Amino acid sequence: MSERPSLWWIDWRLSPGSLVRETIGRFLLFCLLGFGLLSLLLSGGVSRILADRYAITAVLRAEVPSGEGEGLARKAAALPPVRSATYRDPEAAWKEFLRAYPGLDPLRGTGENPLPGYIEIRIRPDRLTVEDVELVASALGAVSQVEQVLAGEDWLPRLLRAGRLASWACWGIFGAFLAGFFLVGRLQERARAVALAGDFAFLAERGISAGRLAFLRAAGAALAGFLLAAVGTAASGGVLFLSLRKFPFLERVVGSPADLLLPRTIASAVLFSIGVAMLCGAASLLGWSSARSGRK
Amino acid sequence: MIEGFRLGVYSRGTTLWDGLDFAFGDAAAWFVTGPPSSGKTLLLSILRGERRPDAGDVLVSGESLYRGNAALARAWRASCGYIPEQTVADARLTVGDLFRRSALAGGGVRESERKERTDRLLGMVGLQGASAWRISELSISERLRACLAAELLRGPKVLFCDGLVAGAGVPSWEMLWGLFRALAREGNTVILAERRIPERWALASGDPCPVGPFRVYRLPGPAAEPKGEPG
Repeated sequence: MSERPSLWWIDWRLSPGSLVRETIGRFLLFCLLGFGLLSLLLSGGVSRILADRYAITAVLRAEVPSGEGEGLARKAAALPPVRSATYRDPEAAWKEFLRAYPGLDPLRGTGENPLPGYIEIRIRPDRLTVEDVELVASALGAVSQVEQVLAGEDWLPRLLRAGRLASWACWGIFGAFLAGFFLVGRLQERARAVALAGDFAFLAERGISAGRLAFLRAAGAALAGFLLAAVGTAASGGVLFLSLRKFPFLERVVGSPADLLLPRTIASAVLFSIGVAMLCGAASLLGWSSARSGRK
Repeated sequence: MIEGFRLGVYSRGTTLWDGLDFAFGDAAAWFVTGPPSSGKTLLLSILRGERRPDAGDVLVSGESLYRGNAALARAWRASCGYIPEQTVADARLTVGDLFRRSALAGGGVRESERKERTDRLLGMVGLQGASAWRISELSISERLRACLAAELLRGPKVLFCDGLVAGAGVPSWEMLWGLFRALAREGNTVILAERRIPERWALASGDPCPVGPFRVYRLPGPAAEPKGEPG
């Protein structure tokens, strides 16, 4: 009897049935939260939707040859905020125009194409800011072959502000779910601490300090929380990956499935798991202390 | 050796007892009797290091339980077994849960060993196959015997029993008599608190030592075994 009692996973040893139920519930919640987290990380809130729908148009002068326009597009594509830059020659521009406004063929009655060529520039979702758009627009505007840059400077700040608010709202909902989990988790921990009060009193009577019990319970809860969150996030990542592969149109909203394996995405998932572990540990400690003090 | 020096307790606005001296030698079974509300349960709590006396001190092997190192007091409690008179809080548990919990408190008891010893100890106290029984479905005698068996799982150096003999009932006295003597023979100390001692146990123990409202008997060792069955 000289060995120190092993109190790791003490709640599992004393009350395995209720903990299995709690663990299943938590795992499902972490799957949901993990799915939300990864979707938000990949999409950047609503940034990807905005970036997909927003484009800067650099209208070229009429006399600019196609080769020069393509060269300009390549240079524009090399700018850091630019996701893609595509040159459209005057003929392609005319066809697009007719698709958008059918029945206006007579405008080309004399045979001459009234439209110039242009470069369509799309911005990376994470660089869709007023500063980066201005950077690209000013770079293009300084080129002599460019007649005009259409970047929507008048309405873009309002659009981006609305997008930012929408993103914050998305993260806010995610945070509210996390906070809800913490509150429910605290109540669960408290209920379990009350239910096991007799067992804890038994152990305290036999020389096991309350502080050690509380610490080991919290450590166990944190470790279990980390593992559950990590597995739940990985599972939801797998589901998201398969969903994006099966329904490619989702990529326009969420992003590429390959982005799931980016180091920053993995690091965020690990940070999320660590955060969940800390919440679980804190919920355990608070539940324990409120159970002992008789508070709700 | 467990010694209580000048122990005093003030309760309900009055002095329950004061200036009591006790000395419980190792490897023996001790029987403390006292009338109702005399503070027998309280005395056991004080000796176990659970409740600080209002006066005096308890020494275990020469070390103070209440004025010394807190870790020492915890180690002392860890080496003790305790069978309380009331086990209301455990009503939701099964007998097997009592053993699981006791093993948890003791540490170092392997699962297979625990199961094997559980069956053996339950058989010893006359509760064969009771592992899955709910405590709430047991009689008082069965509860106390189940608690006793669960405490013995850890092999406590000192066993405190509160009202065990009376609660277990006359049919269990022979088993308890043999058990306490066997524990003492193996070097353990047993301290029992009861309202009265069975007559034959009192005869076998000789004259008690009066301490305040209590009478302290030392149960005889195997060498001093009286002829005939106790109880």
